[in-house]
Amino acid sequence: MLSVKHLLGIKDLTREDIELIFSQADEFKEVLSRPIKKVPSLRDITVANLFFENSTRTRLSFELAEKRLSADVVNFAASSSSVKKGETLVDTVNNILAMKVDMVVMRHASPGAGIFLSRHINASIVNAGDGTHEHPTQALLDAYSIREKLGSVKGKKIVIVGDITHSRVAISNIYCLQKLGAEVMVCGPTTLIPKHITSLGVKVSHNLREALEWCDVANMLRIQLERQDAGVRYFPTLREYSLQFGLDKKLLDSLSKKIVIMHPGPINRGVEITSDVADSDQSIILDQVENGVAIRMAVIYLLAQRIEKRVN
Amino acid sequence: MKTLIKSALIHDPNSTHHGKRRDVLLDKGIIAQIGTGLADPKAKLIEGNGLMVTAGWIDLKANFCDPGVEYKEDLTSGMAAASRGGFRKVVLMPSTWPVIDSKATVEYILRNATHPQVEVMVAGSLSDKMEGKQLSEMYDMHSAGAIAFTDDKKNVGTELMSRALEYAKNFGGLIMSFPYEKSLSPHGQMNEGAVSVSLGMKGIPHVSEEMRVQRDLELLRYHGGRLHFMLISTSKSVELIRKAKKEGLQVTCSIAAHQLSFLDEDLRTFDSNYKVLPPFRTKEERKALIAGIKDGTIDAICSDHTPEDIEHKVREFEDAEFGISSIETAFPSAWTALSPHMDIADVIPLFTSGPAKILGISQPSISEGNPASITAFTPTETTAFSKDTWKSKSYNSPFLGKTLNGKVMF
Repeated sequence: MLSVKHLLGIKDLTREDIELIFSQADEFKEVLSRPIKKVPSLRDITVANLFFENSTRTRLSFELAEKRLSADVVNFAASSSSVKKGETLVDTVNNILAMKVDMVVMRHASPGAGIFLSRHINASIVNAGDGTHEHPTQALLDAYSIREKLGSVKGKKIVIVGDITHSRVAISNIYCLQKLGAEVMVCGPTTLIPKHITSLGVKVSHNLREALEWCDVANMLRIQLERQDAGVRYFPTLREYSLQFGLDKKLLDSLSKKIVIMHPGPINRGVEITSDVADSDQSIILDQVENGVAIRMAVIYLLAQRIEKRVN
Repeated sequence: MKTLIKSALIHDPNSTHHGKRRDVLLDKGIIAQIGTGLADPKAKLIEGNGLMVTAGWIDLKANFCDPGVEYKEDLTSGMAAASRGGFRKVVLMPSTWPVIDSKATVEYILRNATHPQVEVMVAGSLSDKMEGKQLSEMYDMHSAGAIAFTDDKKNVGTELMSRALEYAKNFGGLIMSFPYEKSLSPHGQMNEGAVSVSLGMKGIPHVSEEMRVQRDLELLRYHGGRLHFMLISTSKSVELIRKAKKEGLQVTCSIAAHQLSFLDEDLRTFDSNYKVLPPFRTKEERKALIAGIKDGTIDAICSDHTPEDIEHKVREFEDAEFGISSIETAFPSAWTALSPHMDIADVIPLFTSGPAKILGISQPSISEGNPASITAFTPTETTAFSKDTWKSKSYNSPFLGKTLNGKVMF
């Protein structure tokens, strides 16, 4: 059983938790290859997907995971909600819980929103991204995909490239990969790497070629202009970003070894990576998406085991 | 009503009773009698282990949200909270609705703030409507009784600060500055450092405070005048002010009491009760603040009382307001943090002669016939803070449910 009641961040998980999620995901991945991709495990569970911030793929992936476990699913998106009318988060969620929901999957723009909510409500919470804090299921599926491709994560060198400052994927990935025994480097323009990042035990590089020569796996993050504050931009243009930190086939082929390319999506083709890199045999981008469903099934299934009505 | 404080150590260098254990009888706001073995069956008795009496404590920075936001605090609840905190004089910030930027609003406060033990003083705004554009009618407010001028925690541009320092010299006005260059971290939530990185929160770097300390000191050096930094939080700010004082500039500074109690580490639970401005920093910075207190660079400790209701405080961290309802806990929290490092005799001036000197006011000595503007407390007993005994209208405090050293008795 997991050591936690909620999945709020990778920070709270033990290595054993992560391995348990992986072995559960192995089983579900097998289910997903069957003609009938569904198990009845969660027929007694209702899950609410609360997305206070836009998301297409993460929400879809969660919804599929929940449906393939036979849970009842309700969706809630902020744009069409009472949030805009000034209702507080706790009130909104309590209203939804009053309809007897067992589990909440939440994406929210504010760091720690899930942790805040966990102090005020009873349901079990899965953090589907809280501002620039954590995105635990993304980190789990990334590490799971590395394990699938390279056999294990332990001892591997992984570089995360791009906007680290505004990324929740980066922080969760750093914690997850380190817990599994990998070495992590972050690479990007000085303005997009937090000053104190080395306190997390990662290496820092501002030279893409150098970083790629060092690593076994490169996780190319999406440049998210919408996450940046208004005011002076962190780099002048996407074009200039891509000149320094974009990965094209020429650079990839010139490296001394074959590295694995990842991307959490959606890709800005021609900015972080060019199309021929995204579609090359070194890329596992679509495996990540496929594994996302299995990982999310595993997380929801394991957390549901800890829901009180089922424990008793 | 009469009050009899029994067997208290008088701590007041201006009093002939300084350093002696005495009974003090108060009647109709006056110190009626000081002696030993006093008795009065009609008087309310105040007794306690290690009881001390000092000149009345002064809080340099509090918000009572009145007029305008009375659901968070009003003059009555604010003064009750101040009284419980041991304060006899409180300087209110102009951040009300409307802003205290005119003689009329200054008079509203002074007329309506009546409490048997607490005297309210008013800081008028620096700029008209606190918009940061044009000077407010500082002289008129000064004449109506405003004791200082500040735009509280709002941004004061260089031109405005320069003009205000220079203009206030006309009548010897005191300018109170909150050093914070917000443009460096417009959405900053907490101290920038290892903890903010691991929490994915936007940081507030030291430099955003220090560059403003430096700027205001340069302007003071250029214009002259009286400048007070209300809240500082970093070692470099302490160092800059230490040097400026040595140089002979008329500068003073204070810190919020809770700045000594917490570190950025305490934000790991995303509890918005720890969200304050300036933010809680690291151990090293706190050490420098204590050193600054010890060597006299830091002149006073204030409460920075900032009441916030549930709607504005108990919510997602980024959306929660900054601040603590802290006037009741200010002394006990400061004493709890400082008692391992300092004697009580060295802490008392931070609440008495220190702030009095900053404001340029004199405090009556503890002598028969003088006003009963005194505080009685014991450093050896403790206070447990709970909602049941809380006086402020707002409960935004990380000290609720905690027990602190020191107990205010009167």
